[in-house]
Amino acid sequence: MEYILELEQVTKTFPKSGFTLDSLSFSLPCGAIMGFVGENGAGKTTAIGCILNTLKKDGGTVRLFGREMSDQDTALREGIGVVYDGENFPGYWTAARLSQIMKGLYTRWDDALFQHYTDRFRLPKAQKVKHYSKGMTMKLAIAAALSHHPSLLILDEATSGLDPVMRDEMLDIFLEFVQDERHSILLSSHITEDLEKVADYITFLHNGKILLTASRNELASRYAVMRCRERELPSLDPGDVIALRKRDFQTDVLISDKKAAQRKYRDAVIDPVSIDEMMLLLVKGERV
Amino acid sequence: MKGLLKNNICATRSAATVFSVFLIPFGIFAAAVISQSLQIGYVMTATIGFSFNAASIVKNESASKWNRLKLTLPVRRADVIRSLFVNQLIWLSAGILFSGAELGVSWLLHGCMFDQPLDILSLFALGISMSLFMGAVFFPLCYAGGEERSEAFLIISVLCAFVLDFTIISMANDLLEPGTRAIVAGAVLLIACSLLAFALSYPLTVWIYQRKDY
Repeated sequence: MEYILELEQVTKTFPKSGFTLDSLSFSLPCGAIMGFVGENGAGKTTAIGCILNTLKKDGGTVRLFGREMSDQDTALREGIGVVYDGENFPGYWTAARLSQIMKGLYTRWDDALFQHYTDRFRLPKAQKVKHYSKGMTMKLAIAAALSHHPSLLILDEATSGLDPVMRDEMLDIFLEFVQDERHSILLSSHITEDLEKVADYITFLHNGKILLTASRNELASRYAVMRCRERELPSLDPGDVIALRKRDFQTDVLISDKKAAQRKYRDAVIDPVSIDEMMLLLVKGERV
Repeated sequence: MKGLLKNNICATRSAATVFSVFLIPFGIFAAAVISQSLQIGYVMTATIGFSFNAASIVKNESASKWNRLKLTLPVRRADVIRSLFVNQLIWLSAGILFSGAELGVSWLLHGCMFDQPLDILSLFALGISMSLFMGAVFFPLCYAGGEERSEAFLIISVLCAFVLDFTIISMANDLLEPGTRAIVAGAVLLIACSLLAFALSYPLTVWIYQRKDY
């Protein structure tokens, strides 16, 4: 399998806050979308910073398109489109000004494509960015990230300010983008519903550590949540359990092998697990 | 680099436009009235003012994620800094043009307002060197101390430029015999020292910027 992005043992510590991104390792294959999930402060933006060199990592390796990217590798950055949450551009810019500036930065900047996206997103070209709504600024940033024909999109909470209709349209655009099997997307999001729709791989991050990274098919076929009573817990084999969360009338148990559990615990209720539920169990549940 | 420079010019332009609205009537008044002090004031205001506007864009950009996003663009960190330094020189040139135009009109109307035409050279040397010293101090200080505190650093750098300029002037006055040669040598010294400081400040700022996390 060919990978567009590979992280090996990436670490970054912020001495003032004490936060550490701890030996992060994962790979994003070509033609895939990876959802990057985690609560606020889990380290998603720090990881993205290490990937893009906006943060100086303390250790580990990040390979983009098969090689490590240094500050000098401007050609490598031609192939990456980035969108951050919030205001990506200075408030005094207009969409027209953005296009002029980007034309001077990207050799493959496509004015016609940018025009197509701004028309599609109904963005006024003469209006200053500071007068845009949050949704409009996000749409503008996504349009800009797509208009230089990148191979890799890195989106940090890029859909967070959009209404459900627009979010759905964006997800369609992302799916269109990965139709080309040389393209990939790393999509960090709190909105796990979006990731359920588009992500091929999910990476769960908590306190700077990866809790789990798996393909969506693997998540659906292997992982499940078993509903038990508290008194049934001692009868469970600890090897089958990843995490559990006690609730008022039942205990939710995250299991790593659905089929084996179905055979072993014939009377148990075993449900498919959503990304949201999985995140809650991994973050808030007791790890076994 | 071209795009960065375009952005910097565009960012400075809105503040510079407001500044020009003040500078044009001031220039008309200074050219119309026979006053050497007004001429000096105008030249200093124009040369330093435009450079001040150019340096202040660092603060405006730090309000959005653009500071972080531009590091993901196909530019080197050194290019980001170079574009700021070039922008500073472009707006200094604008200040020189404004000053030159005002002095030219004043000369046409009233003749030379100074004891000797050579004094104009000293005046320009002082304005230019002050702008260059200001930039030379501001950029490394701002990136070392954080862009969010750039307003304070901008004021500190203007004061530093003032102190540096008048230290050089007083040293030149002590070392050189009064006369034409001293005026020319003083002006050359001011320009040379400030240009050197500006040139040395660039690699220092790049060195600091390359170590920064965004």
